[in-house]
Amino acid sequence: MKSKYLSVALAMVALFLVSNPAFAADGFETGAGIGLGAGIGMGLAALGCGMGQGRAAASALEGIARNPQAAGKIQTPMLIGLVFMETLVLFTFGFGFLMLGNLG
Amino acid sequence: MYNYSWFWLIPGVEHGEFLEAIHEHLPAWAVVHAETASAHAVPAAWAVVLICCLFAFVARAGLNSARAKGGIEQYVPAAGFSPRNMMEILLGAIWNFAAETLNSRDVATRYFPVFAAVFIYVLISNLMGLVPGFLPPTGSVSTNFAVALVVFLVFNWAGFKEAGFGYVKHMAGPVWWLAFFIFPVELFSMLIRPLTLAVRLYINMFADHLLLGVSTEMIAYVLPAAFVGLGSFVSFVQAFVFMLLTVVYVTLSVGDGDHH
Repeated sequence: MKSKYLSVALAMVALFLVSNPAFAADGFETGAGIGLGAGIGMGLAALGCGMGQGRAAASALEGIARNPQAAGKIQTPMLIGLVFMETLVLFTFGFGFLMLGNLG
Repeated sequence: MYNYSWFWLIPGVEHGEFLEAIHEHLPAWAVVHAETASAHAVPAAWAVVLICCLFAFVARAGLNSARAKGGIEQYVPAAGFSPRNMMEILLGAIWNFAAETLNSRDVATRYFPVFAAVFIYVLISNLMGLVPGFLPPTGSVSTNFAVALVVFLVFNWAGFKEAGFGYVKHMAGPVWWLAFFIFPVELFSMLIRPLTLAVRLYINMFADHLLLGVSTEMIAYVLPAAFVGLGSFVSFVQAFVFMLLTVVYVTLSVGDGDHH
C-alpha cells in the first residue's frame, strides 16, 4: 500500500505523539489519555471480536449447510469458540470502565 | 438510579454493615476483603437458592404423586404445564447435552447435579436482575467467584478421580523435555479458569444492568422494554455458557476416554 498519503499519515501520527510535552506545558491533563485509550481500546477489541466471531460463525454455518443433521453437534463447539472471543472484549470493556474512574 | 435493590430495605445491607459484623466473628486469615459495595448480593443469592429449592420441592412432589398413582402415570410426562414437566424437560436437556459432550453417560450422571445446579442458579440469578428494583446477585464478582470456585473444585476432583496421577502428567505435555515450559502454562491456564468464569458473568450482568439504567433515564418506560428482551436473552446465554464451560472443563480433565 505504497501511496503518497501513507507518509503524510505517518507524519501526522508522529506529530501527535511527539507534541505531548508541548501540551503539558499549558496544563494538559494526563487523565485525558486514559479516556482516549479506553475508547480506542474498546473499538479495537470490538473490531477483532467481530472479525473472529464472524469467521467462527461462517465456518459453523457452512458445516451445517453441508450436513444439516449434524447441526446440534456443530452448534456446541461454535458456542465455545464464540464465548472465548467475547470474553476478551468484555475484559477490555471492564478494564476501560475501571480506568474511567481515574479520569483527570 | 439503576443501583437500587429491594434487599436494601433489610437493615445493614445497604452499606454492608452485616458483612462487617460477620467478619468480626471470623479469624483473621479467613477474611480476604470485605467488599461492602456489593453486599446486597449475599441476601439476594440466598433468596435465589430459596426459590430454586422451592421449585425443586414442588417438582419432586409432582413426581411423587404421579409415582404413587402407579401404572402408566409415572412414566409418562404430566399433562399440561406443571413444575414437574418444566423440571423434567430442563434436566433432560442438560443431561443429554452433558452426555453428548462428555461422550460417557456414567460421568455425566455422576457430575450431573453440579451442571444442573449451576445452570439453574445462574439463570434465576440473572433473571432476577430484570425485575424492577432488584440487582442480580451475579452482578457482583464475589458471589460469581464463589460459584466458579465450586466449579474449579469439581473439575479438579473429576480429573483426579478419573485419571489419578495421570491428571498431573497430562498437564506436563506430550514429551518429557518440554514439560518445563508447558507445565507452568497449563497450570496458569487452569488457575485462570475460575477467574474468567466469574468476570465474564459479572461484566455481562453489569453491562446489561447499566444499559437498563441508562435507557430508563432516556425514555422512561418505553426504551427499557426493548432492553429487557435483550437482557433476558443475555441471561439465558450466559447461564448456558457457564454450564457449557463447566461441562467442557470436566471433559478436558477426564480426558475424553483416550488415556486408557
